Amino acid sequence: MNTIPAAAADGRRPSGRDLSERALGALLLAPAALLLLVIVVYPIATLFWNSLHGVDNANPAAGEQFVGLKNYLTAFEDSRFWDSSLHTVLYILVTVPGALVVGLGLAMLANMPFRIKWPVRLGLLLPWALPLVFAGLIFRWFFEYNTGVVNDILRRFGVEPLQWLSDPNLAFAAISIAIVWKSSSFMALMLLAGLQTIPKSLYEAAEVDGATKWQQFVEITLPMLSPALFVALIFRTITAIQTFDIPYAMTGGGPGDSTETLAMYIHKTTLDFLDFGYGSALAALMFVLSMAATSGYLKYTRRSSGRSGED
Amino acid sequence: MSEVTLKQVVKAYGRNQVIHGIDLAIGSGEFVVFVGPSGCGKSTLLRMIAGLEEITAGEIAIGGTVVNDMPPRSRDIAMVFQDYALYPHKTVYENMAFGLRLRKAPDAEIRARVGEAAGILQIEHLLERKPRELSGGQRQRVAMGRAIVRKPKAFLFDEPLSNLDALLRAEMRVEIKKLHQKLGNTVVYVTHDQVEAMTLADRIVVLQAGNLIQYDTPDGIYNRPAAQFVAGFTGSPPMNFLPASMGEGGRTIRLPGGVDLPVPARRVAECARHAGREIVFGLRPEHIGIARDGDASHAVVPGRVMLVEPLGSDTLGLVRLGAADGAGEMTGRFAPDAGIRVGQGVPIGLAIDHFHLFDKTTGVAIRGADW
Repeated sequence: MNTIPAAAADGRRPSGRDLSERALGALLLAPAALLLLVIVVYPIATLFWNSLHGVDNANPAAGEQFVGLKNYLTAFEDSRFWDSSLHTVLYILVTVPGALVVGLGLAMLANMPFRIKWPVRLGLLLPWALPLVFAGLIFRWFFEYNTGVVNDILRRFGVEPLQWLSDPNLAFAAISIAIVWKSSSFMALMLLAGLQTIPKSLYEAAEVDGATKWQQFVEITLPMLSPALFVALIFRTITAIQTFDIPYAMTGGGPGDSTETLAMYIHKTTLDFLDFGYGSALAALMFVLSMAATSGYLKYTRRSSGRSGED
Repeated sequence: MSEVTLKQVVKAYGRNQVIHGIDLAIGSGEFVVFVGPSGCGKSTLLRMIAGLEEITAGEIAIGGTVVNDMPPRSRDIAMVFQDYALYPHKTVYENMAFGLRLRKAPDAEIRARVGEAAGILQIEHLLERKPRELSGGQRQRVAMGRAIVRKPKAFLFDEPLSNLDALLRAEMRVEIKKLHQKLGNTVVYVTHDQVEAMTLADRIVVLQAGNLIQYDTPDGIYNRPAAQFVAGFTGSPPMNFLPASMGEGGRTIRLPGGVDLPVPARRVAECARHAGREIVFGLRPEHIGIARDGDASHAVVPGRVMLVEPLGSDTLGLVRLGAADGAGEMTGRFAPDAGIRVGQGVPIGLAIDHFHLFDKTTGVAIRGADW
């Protein structure tokens, strides 16, 4: 019988080597850490610093005085902040579930045994690959009053054309449609990856067990897809908080401020009004909102990695 | 009444026909095993019975009802899959109860039937677990449990043991056989493992390239193979084959190296029809041994031991038949105390009554009316 030295048996190495390995580890991590520091930590820190100071580039002579929480207090009394936040929440409430339903449908379509798969896959990828602003411009043309395709179709059916982009409610609807179209392909890609991990034999077993197609969807597809659904939902929610490009390209926030999102208001405050201090405070508030959504996601992944390899 | 009958069943994918018109009658309560190499169509045939594959032509009936256009759920069958196909998000209990729940069975009945099935399979202590918490053998039992709670007309097994290690496979084989003896349902079982086929089946269906080659009892498959393919498929080590030619009048068989063997008198008439033709001579290892004096049942050929493989219970010896160049070699099964050694010259006895002869081109067995 072989005997194993105790030190080797418990897998520990001599402590001198421990130190040099740690140094090597730190050295290998350094470039990535430095990069994160420069492009993530520094801007965020600057943002918070700005939010606590009066940084008004329209009036540089005023200097950068420390103002404490004044910028935040201003935000809470600013009806445009509340309006744009409400619009953002409405977009989240409408477009996230919308994209989820459309994306799930597309994913299931793409997962069907088509003989030629690439047109379906391309159809899925195309909206995702298209820059957001282009998508916004395309949909602005679709919903344009005189020459847009949507009103053209309405006219052909004898319906009065609608003021899509000049009516607050219709503009909200038009923008939501554009966002759902644009974001559902990303949803679909994530859900398709989830669908493809479900073994075909489960559906066959369910079919033999007596499940109809609908029962198979409810009893097999949905529960098996729930991790992918959850991740897709969180990802989509985080990006929906930052909704900017599509409403910016379609209405510029109009008519009035009726379709303006928080991200658009921040953009206006900082880049149009050059009020970096107040803009930073607004951005910090949005950051908190995003973090709240992200922490939900992190909590979920920690929970699921705790039972890794189970499903 | 749960017999399964197939009439001229054909399966084609586009122009590619994979099952070429199979007729089969499986009696109620019978355990029938489909066996054959990969790609012979055995799984496809099973899946057609299950309703998971469409039937291109022909007719399948279960319990007297033609099921061609019925979905699987209406066929009153249960299936055990190769990968078990347990629902990962459901407990063992829910897995087993699922089929009954879909059929809107009352809760009390579901509980009773799941409990009964769990008792038979000794998995009562696992009912609250998820499949991921089970070992391979336990998953296998749950998959069988899910099938038996439904009390279907027929059980369909698709290579259920192929994911288990050899020891567990032997154990589960016994379990399946016991289960069938206890429940007495009709079973259709697919495997590529001839040992599973031989040990489990009441009757075996041997398939090759989408054709039914032989449908017979294990004894018939082993001792009276209808074709060289069937003969070579069963037994371990498998049957020995040598190219041979049929002598004048069908009275002798000439093996390579000029060795002549006598044809048993009762088979001469049939063999005479093949006189002068090239044939294939087959003999199982257990019908090759050291010749004993005055034993008329064996043809004696001078042999030389080329290779010895002791297995413990018996010893396999590769022997050369005859001394000439190009003489044929066959593996024989010898008693461990026979003391054969490599290089040793021994008279070899070949059991005349167990000669298998096959047409060289078609592979079909050459046999008389009485054989």
